[in-house]
Amino acid sequence: MRADIISTVEFNYSGDLLATGDKGGRVVIFQREQENKGRAHSRGEYNVYSTFQSHEPEFDYLKSLEIEEKINKIRWLPQQNAAHFLLSTNDKTIKLWKISERDKRAEGYNLKDEDGRLRDPFRITALRVPILKPMDLMVEASPRRIFANAHTYHINSISVNSDHETYLSADDLRINLWHLEITDRSFNIVDIKPANMEELTEVITAAEFHPHQCNVFVYSSSKGTIRLCDMRSSALCDRHAKFFEEPEDPSSRSFFSEIISSISDVKFSHSGRYMMTRDYLSVKVWDLNMEGRPVETHQVHEYLRSKLCSLYENDCIFDKFECCWNGSDSAIMTGSYNNFFRMFDRNTRRDVTLEASRENSKPRASLKPRKVCTGGKRKKDEISVDSLDFNKKILHTAWHPMESIIAVAATNNLYIFQDKIN
Amino acid sequence: MEFKLEAHRIVSISLGKIYNSRVQRGGIKLHKNLLVSLVLRSARQVYLSDPCPGLYLAGPTGTPAVPPPQQPGEPVAGPPSGWGEPPPPAGRAAWPEPEPPPQRPMVCHTPGAGSSEPVTSVAGAGDALRGGETDSAAAACCPPAREEQPVGDGSPAPPAPCPRKRGAAGVGGGRAGCPAPGSTPLKKPRRNSEEQPSTTDEDTDEEMETGNVANLISIFGSSFSGLLRKSPAGGREEEEAEESGPEAAEPGQICCDKPVLRDMSPWSTAIVAF
Repeated sequence: MRADIISTVEFNYSGDLLATGDKGGRVVIFQREQENKGRAHSRGEYNVYSTFQSHEPEFDYLKSLEIEEKINKIRWLPQQNAAHFLLSTNDKTIKLWKISERDKRAEGYNLKDEDGRLRDPFRITALRVPILKPMDLMVEASPRRIFANAHTYHINSISVNSDHETYLSADDLRINLWHLEITDRSFNIVDIKPANMEELTEVITAAEFHPHQCNVFVYSSSKGTIRLCDMRSSALCDRHAKFFEEPEDPSSRSFFSEIISSISDVKFSHSGRYMMTRDYLSVKVWDLNMEGRPVETHQVHEYLRSKLCSLYENDCIFDKFECCWNGSDSAIMTGSYNNFFRMFDRNTRRDVTLEASRENSKPRASLKPRKVCTGGKRKKDEISVDSLDFNKKILHTAWHPMESIIAVAATNNLYIFQDKIN
Repeated sequence: MEFKLEAHRIVSISLGKIYNSRVQRGGIKLHKNLLVSLVLRSARQVYLSDPCPGLYLAGPTGTPAVPPPQQPGEPVAGPPSGWGEPPPPAGRAAWPEPEPPPQRPMVCHTPGAGSSEPVTSVAGAGDALRGGETDSAAAACCPPAREEQPVGDGSPAPPAPCPRKRGAAGVGGGRAGCPAPGSTPLKKPRRNSEEQPSTTDEDTDEEMETGNVANLISIFGSSFSGLLRKSPAGGREEEEAEESGPEAAEPGQICCDKPVLRDMSPWSTAIVAF
């Protein structure tokens, strides 16, 4: 398994920074070039800003388990000063990183010379005041907090609260609430572990805080349900305030009905009025005021429904696709196979399939919409279902919080696309 | 019929996935294993509802030993033509023999290195291992670093080898193939010795008799507790007992009506297939 496969992508609140995490535990941060700098064509380009090793492989000696260094999620904190902060997590440990710039350095020390060698104090005859001189920009990343030992199972989500002081971390069976300043304890706010593990029927698959109400969060399950919890009602939010579930369509039952209904991602809209869930074949938009069914369902790759057995065999059916909203909540995006990703315009009800690949991505050339031929005669430029490359999967995508810029992770490549309509 | 073949294939694939997951880096993925166990259960249900249950008892030639209980309207049949030619090797091993073939890499039960010695050690291990958690059923073959640890280890089955208890295979790391040639003779003495505590201590029953299945179930992490409680005897017995109906059910079974027996059989045969 290649260490540079991207495992998470996240814009910060301003969209100027884009962070990626990979399977090797590395974090790479890209920064958008300022518009007035350099050539006209470099306006809005993202270049590498900082690279650091966030997590290393670990070994749990008690359980004889190796802990993977793969970065499962990165979440930015809102910026409060010149430095940037982000949370990155692997299966077991969450770390708070501070990314800061240094563009000056002090020169003219008394006790050491410019190479850093100590000077002999007896040789110093005069004192001078060190002065700050500009230097090449250096970006440093330093771990400020390490939140460890709170999760028995694999962490799948982290979410920063709108109070900017707390965040939650979720694993398969539990959700913990942390304070960003406190690393030696966390509060358990959801626990769905049954007394007898043999009675386990569902696990937590994703969790997120509401964007505005700091007491509200949701978590999705492997059974295709979403629970909305209010932390004001009780300390342990095992009882939900709202329960979202769409009744199953009995005509589409198969061996794999349960797998494909498992929700792989849940995201609130920026407005906080809707939330979106991704299961294996579709994305659904839910109105928080309506628990009985989603208000929108978008098919991502329905042509795969007849291939579920093969996808089960090659493990693709377990792929966890993410989804994201655009800044105005008018469009949603999610990935598929063959390096395809899909965008759905909620207003016009139109959708498009695009491909992230080197051959099709000449700089400043428009992406051509792609089409999958589901049967019958394949038209020119269409691709048949059997020709899809299931090793090329787009699981992670991100949308700039305000502009029409998207980041798409295709295995170990990051693509950044911009809408030219400006 | 195709459904049955398909179901069987899915069962084989699923068991393979569970087996492989134990050696995966990063530990067992609870979510994935849960989903696999759900597929396994769906496949099993299809298997049961398909009208050819006599195949459990089929001899090597594929003919059923006893006509299975028939639904009204179902033709009484020998095996359909689909079974005339050998099914995939794993399936072939699963159906015919009343004695299970030795290949059982999934479930690490100590090979019968003497029928009485492991009996007592299992009992002792079970008692020692049983902590606060109730799913110690699977702990018989596995090191204490499981659910019952107060440390809070929640993984259903650690992938590490567990050489402590009996110096033999534990779940997750022992010998890939655990030949159990002595397993059949092992059962009888086990059952006898267990009969005394069986009525008083069901948990011990589960550990001793269904250690194999319980391990698998624990790995599945799914709701198979009904299976365990109803049929504490080893699964292979069910094959033999099925034809004689519930009257010949194992002593110590609490509930042994036909549907339960039918429930157990495909599991045992699926396990045996590996």
